[in-house]
Amino acid sequence: MSGEARPLLEAVGVSKRYRVGNHLLARFNKVVHAVEKVSLAVQEGETLGLVGESGCGKSTLGRCLTRLYEVSDGHILFEGTDITVLGARALRALRTRMQMVFQDPAASLNPRRRVGELIAEPLIVHRRGTRAEIAARVRALLREVGLLAEHAERFPHEFSGGQQQRIGIARALALAPRLIVADEPVSALDASVQAQIVNLFMDLQERLGLTYVFIAHDLSVVRQVSTRVAVMYLGAIVEIGPTDEVLSAPSHPYTQALISAVPVPDPAAPNRRRIILEGDVPSPIDPPPGCPFHPRCGYATERCRSERPVLSEHGRGWDVACHFPLNGS
Amino acid sequence: MSGDRPGSIEAGPILEVRDLAVSFRTERGLVRAVDGVSLTLGEREILSIVGESGSGKTLTVLAVMGLIRDPNAIVEGSIRFRGRELVGLPDGEMRRVRGGAIAMIFQNPMTALTPVYAIGRQIAEQVRAHRPLSRRAAARRAIELIEAVGIPNPAGAAQRFPHELSGGMRQRAVIAMALSCDPALLLADEPTTALDVTVQAQILDLVRKLRADFGSSVILITHNMGVVAEIADRVAVMYAGRIVERAETAALFREPRHPYTLGLLGSIPPLEGARPRRLPAIPGTPPSPFAIPEGCPFGPRCRWREAACAVRPELVAEGGHETACILTKEARAAARAQSLAVTAGAA
Repeated sequence: MSGEARPLLEAVGVSKRYRVGNHLLARFNKVVHAVEKVSLAVQEGETLGLVGESGCGKSTLGRCLTRLYEVSDGHILFEGTDITVLGARALRALRTRMQMVFQDPAASLNPRRRVGELIAEPLIVHRRGTRAEIAARVRALLREVGLLAEHAERFPHEFSGGQQQRIGIARALALAPRLIVADEPVSALDASVQAQIVNLFMDLQERLGLTYVFIAHDLSVVRQVSTRVAVMYLGAIVEIGPTDEVLSAPSHPYTQALISAVPVPDPAAPNRRRIILEGDVPSPIDPPPGCPFHPRCGYATERCRSERPVLSEHGRGWDVACHFPLNGS
Repeated sequence: MSGDRPGSIEAGPILEVRDLAVSFRTERGLVRAVDGVSLTLGEREILSIVGESGSGKTLTVLAVMGLIRDPNAIVEGSIRFRGRELVGLPDGEMRRVRGGAIAMIFQNPMTALTPVYAIGRQIAEQVRAHRPLSRRAAARRAIELIEAVGIPNPAGAAQRFPHELSGGMRQRAVIAMALSCDPALLLADEPTTALDVTVQAQILDLVRKLRADFGSSVILITHNMGVVAEIADRVAVMYAGRIVERAETAALFREPRHPYTLGLLGSIPPLEGARPRRLPAIPGTPPSPFAIPEGCPFGPRCRWREAACAVRPELVAEGGHETACILTKEARAAARAQSLAVTAGAA
């Protein structure tokens, strides 16, 4: 990735807040800080993995990036244009170049429509060719994702979970987007099928030069697909850097704990030091002061309890939000 | 806590399942979802059953629990718990066996909790169903159990409603409820699948502690090979309603013999070392119980299939390691080397 090139996608200080409660006076209602001042850049052709536990804001961020959600603060630049201010018409044009793939393919496919119609729909909406041209494109897309052209005549329920996800991917590819934001696209699938879909994502990237933001909670899946990885905790990015380096020698204590908690399929592996985190992720309604991770961090000091660390380079070539980053040994 | 439990000193297996078959009468004919499963579980043993959706792993333990209530289901074979036959036992009898000694936890803790009562009250209710205690004593016992599963501030937590607890805490509350009968046998169906990895690690620790403190035997169903490696003494791999491989955990991971097991292990992206360019995925999908292939059910997805696979292979033991596959020792070694080569053919 050349560092000089303009990123395909850039988030600048993006926050997403929700108000909970329905008191007449706004000050009596609480605010959920789902995403807190996130800045990141995604270069053309790379895959940025977004990991974190449930409630960390990774899905909310993914939906802000594609403007399925409106941001509360900050800007999102796609191809250099600020998409947070686009009107309806410009937004529709934008959708042809960025698409999303979701966790539950069955929920995103209308059960009453044939697979061919489902994939053709975006092509029809955006007037991409004659009927015959669209039909040919649908057949090509089905083959692209490892299905058969004749599957166009069937209904979604006739397919297994893995095949339904292939249909979801074909649909996302229909308008030839440059960017795909995939939100847990393999976590609902059986292990053997999960590997097939991971391979499909990688093949498509190679063939079509796609850029991905790949959101997942499974670290080994993220490691397999990502060029870089961003780790989120309580709405903020705590570490972002090259996948291999970050996952083999993390700088943030939370990243370290997260990796150590993954059960390794090898009982003979030398006993890894497992860091069992005490307690739960704090509520994003009432985040702790200072570093959001300090109540569960084994290395926390007085400074961590009062001063919030900023995400910045720390001498190892990537960014971490920690006052006392680990040095990798 | 439960040292005086009668019967816990027997040396024999706590659970013995022979030729278990679960079939359903459907519009499309009789469907056999579990087909001739036999297994034994020793005292204090943790057995993992691994498989994908439709492999029959959940139905197998539901049959042990006597919880298959579908009027169109037919359960055949023998299930002996501490020597006592459970298949065909009248409902009332079964409830006594179950309540007094067998407990089950599910993937979604909310299937076992009601949203309208505080968890302390729900656990106390279970305690009173098993033991003649006063309300007050049961409430005290509930708080002890909440403490035993590692929920912070047990007395305070007892007053909380399920929606006020995180997923991990709810699963702990359900485990506390399961412990109310001092179970000799705990059946856990994907207990950590819905949880985050850091919470999963906490729950697996708790299951290990149950064995140590309460002497429970555990059957843990999972699809996650990492969880198996972490916790199980022995593993049974199920495919299309049958056990296709069974061994001690260390042996299974050191020398997986069935091509399906090899495929499952290869499907997991490594967390360390070189990344494979492609994952050696198993082609196709697990068969539907309506269309289980003739002969070896894994045949259509198997890279090493041969003519002899048209006959269904039996589960054959070889030094305590059982496999339902016709591959010879040499062929298996070659298959292993081949799938390892794919994994190692990395970037």
